[in-house]
Amino acid sequence: MNKLKLNYTSLSFLPILVCIPIGYQLISNIHFGGFKLFQEFLISAFNPKIDNEIIISVINRLNETILVGFFSWLVSIIFGAIFGILSSNIFYKFFNIPNFFYSIIRFLLTIIRSIHEVIWGILLMQIYGINFSIGIIAICIPYIAVNSKVFAEQLENIDYKSFESINQINAPKFSSLLTLIWNPIINTFKNFGLYRLECSIRSTVILGLFGIGGIGTSIFLSFQTLNFRELWTYLWSLAILIILSGLIFKKIKFNNTNKIIDIIFLAVFFITILFSFSYFLYFIFHNNFENFNSVSSLFKSSSDLGLFDFLKLIFETIILSLLSTGIAISLPPIVIGIFNNNTSKIFIKIFAFLLRLIPTPIVLLILLTFNNPSLSLAALTLGLHNAGITSKLLFTNLDSQDKRNYIAMKSLGISKKTSWLLGLFSQQAKSYLAYCAYRSDIIIRETAIVGVIGSIGLGWQLQESLSSFAWKEVSIVLIAYSSIAIVGELINGKIKNSLT
Amino acid sequence: MNNTLLELKNISYKYKNNLILNKVNLKINSGEKIALLGKSGSGKTTLISVLNGTIKPTHGEVKLFNKSFDELDRKKKRKITTIWQDLRLIEDLSAEQNVNCGLLAENNFYFALKNLLNISSFKKAHKYMQLCRLHNSTYDKNIRKLSGGQKQRVAIARSLIQGADILLADEPFNNLDPKLITIIKNLLLENVDKNNTKKSPKTILVALHRLDLLNDFDKVLGIRDGKIIFNIRRNNLKKLHLDKIY
Repeated sequence: MNKLKLNYTSLSFLPILVCIPIGYQLISNIHFGGFKLFQEFLISAFNPKIDNEIIISVINRLNETILVGFFSWLVSIIFGAIFGILSSNIFYKFFNIPNFFYSIIRFLLTIIRSIHEVIWGILLMQIYGINFSIGIIAICIPYIAVNSKVFAEQLENIDYKSFESINQINAPKFSSLLTLIWNPIINTFKNFGLYRLECSIRSTVILGLFGIGGIGTSIFLSFQTLNFRELWTYLWSLAILIILSGLIFKKIKFNNTNKIIDIIFLAVFFITILFSFSYFLYFIFHNNFENFNSVSSLFKSSSDLGLFDFLKLIFETIILSLLSTGIAISLPPIVIGIFNNNTSKIFIKIFAFLLRLIPTPIVLLILLTFNNPSLSLAALTLGLHNAGITSKLLFTNLDSQDKRNYIAMKSLGISKKTSWLLGLFSQQAKSYLAYCAYRSDIIIRETAIVGVIGSIGLGWQLQESLSSFAWKEVSIVLIAYSSIAIVGELINGKIKNSLT
Repeated sequence: MNNTLLELKNISYKYKNNLILNKVNLKINSGEKIALLGKSGSGKTTLISVLNGTIKPTHGEVKLFNKSFDELDRKKKRKITTIWQDLRLIEDLSAEQNVNCGLLAENNFYFALKNLLNISSFKKAHKYMQLCRLHNSTYDKNIRKLSGGQKQRVAIARSLIQGADILLADEPFNNLDPKLITIIKNLLLENVDKNNTKKSPKTILVALHRLDLLNDFDKVLGIRDGKIIFNIRRNNLKKLHLDKIY
C-alpha cells in the first residue's frame, strides 16, 4: 500500500476534523429555550431601530470610537517604530552594544505582545477605574510591541553589505543609522500603517464591550437589554464605518518622492512623542491610586487556585486555540470550494464580512442563547471570527491569481470543484498556510476574550481573580498566558519559516 | 621619512574553516597607485575589506597612519574610501542622495536628515556625477531604476565626493563600456581633472582583471589562494609573474 503523503493543499483541509469533537459537544449541549431570542436577533438585522435619538447616539459613540482608535494607533505606530529600531540587530551592530541587551528588549516586547489588549484593559480598569485614557493605553501597550516586531523585521532585512558600506564612510553613527533605516521605516509605515489603524478601531470596539466606552459599550448594553433592533443599528453603523474607512484607505496612496509628506510625518512624529510623554506624566500624577495600592498586596494575597485546576485551565486554553485555529484554517477553502459559483461567492463574502464585523463576545453571547457554555462553543466563536478574516485573504489572493491552469483543467472536462482545487487553490495553499500560522498567534491571544465571556480557560480565571483583587492569582494567570503565547509564537515562527 | 599609509602585518583571515588570507604582509606608501591582480576567489575582495577595516583579521595587525585601526579616531578612518565590487548603494534612495551619503562623514545629523528628506543641496553631488558622465536625468532617479553602468558610476561618484586620501576599488570598471572605462580610469588615477575642480585620492589600490589597464599603475600586486605572490614595480611585470597567479 502506498504511504499517505501530505501536501499543502491537504494540510489546509485536514484541520476541519476538529469539527467532529466540537459538533459532538455542541449537539449534546443544545437547549431550545433561546431559539426565539436568536430568531429575533436575526430578524432585527433587517429592521434596525432608526430615530433621532439613536442616530445622535450612534454619531457620538462612533466619534468616541474613532478618537480612541486614532490616538491609540498614532501613539502605537510611532512608538512601535522607535522600539522597532531598538529591537533590531542593526541598532546594536551600529553602536557595538552587546547582543545581551538586544535579547532582553526582544524578550520584554514578546511578553508585552503576548497579552491581549482586553486583558491590559481589564487590568488597568481594575487599577485606575473606567476612563477613555485606559482604552488608549490598553491598546497602545500590546500594539507598540506588535508594531515594533513588524518594524524590526523590516529593519533586519536591510542588506548587511549596505550597513558595512555606510559604516565604512565613518560618518557620525546617528547620521549613518538614520540614512540606512529611514526608507524601510517610512515604507513599513506606508504599507502597514493604515491596516493597523483599522485594527486599532476594531480593538476599541472590543474594549468598549468591556466598559471602556464608545460604540462597543453601546452594543453590549443593547445586547444586555435584549434590544436587538438597537443592537443592529450600532452594528450596521459600525459596518458602514469599516467599509468607508476601507474605501478611504484604498484611495490614500503615498507618493514616494513627496517630500512634503515626509516632512509632515516627521512633524507628527515629534509632536506625538511630546504629547504622549506629557499625557503620560499627567495620567500618572492625576489619577486615583486607591485601587492601585491594592497591587502592593500582591505578595500578601493568597491564592486558592490549586495546581490541578490551574493546569486544567492551561490545557483548556491550548485546546481552545487549537480547535479555533483548525476552523479558521479549513472552513474558508472548504466553503469556497464547495459553493464555487459567482452567486454563492457574494453570499460567502457577506457572511465572512459579518463574522469579521460582529465582535466575538457578541457572537458568543448570541450562541449562548441556545447552547450551554463550553469549550467547543468558545472555539466555534473564535474559529468563525478568524475564518472571516482568513477567507478575506483567500478571496483576495484567489481573485488576483492567474487562472490559466483552472481554465485548462475545465477545458479537459474536469469538474469545476476539482479544477478549482487543483488549478487554483493548490497554488495558494502554501502562502495561505503561512498566513494561517501568523493568524494562530493572534488566536492564542484572543482566547482571552472568549474565555472571559464563555467561562473557559485562563481568560475566565483572570476575570474571576481580578474581580476579587487576588493579585497573586492574576500574576500567575498572566505568566501562564504569556508563556502559552510565547511558545505558540515560537512554534508558529518555525512553521512560517518553513513555508516561506 | 616614513611615508607608509597602510600596513598589513602577518594578516590571516579564516572564514568557516577556510583560510581566505594567509600571512599577508603589505605596505602601501603615500602616492602609490597599485593594481591588485588575481583569479576570482583568490582573496582580493577580502584583502580590500581588511584594508578598509570592514573585516577584522583572525591574526595579524592592520595599521593606518602607523596606528592600529582600533586606536584611530573616526576622522582618520575617513581618509579611506572604497568602491565595492557589489557597489553597496542604498537601494531606497535616489542616485544624488546616494552620492551625498559620501558627505555624511564631514557633516552633522541635520545634513543626513535633509538628504533623506530630499531638501539638502545636491550641488556638489551633481558635480561629481557629471565628472562620472552621469546624465542629468539620472540624478533624482531611484537606484533601482538605473542600469548596471549607471549604478557603477554612482558608486564611484559617492567614493570620490568623500575626498579621501586612499582609494580602494574592487573591480571599479565592471559594467562600463570601453570609452567610459578610459574616462573613469583617468578620473581615478589622475590627480587633477582638466577643469582643476577635483582631486582624486593620491594613493590608490585597484583590484582588476584587465591587464591592458595596468599601464597607469606604479606597482602590481599578485594574489593567489590568499597569499601575496608578487609585489613589484609595474615595469618589472613579466608573463612569468602572471602565470603564477592565473
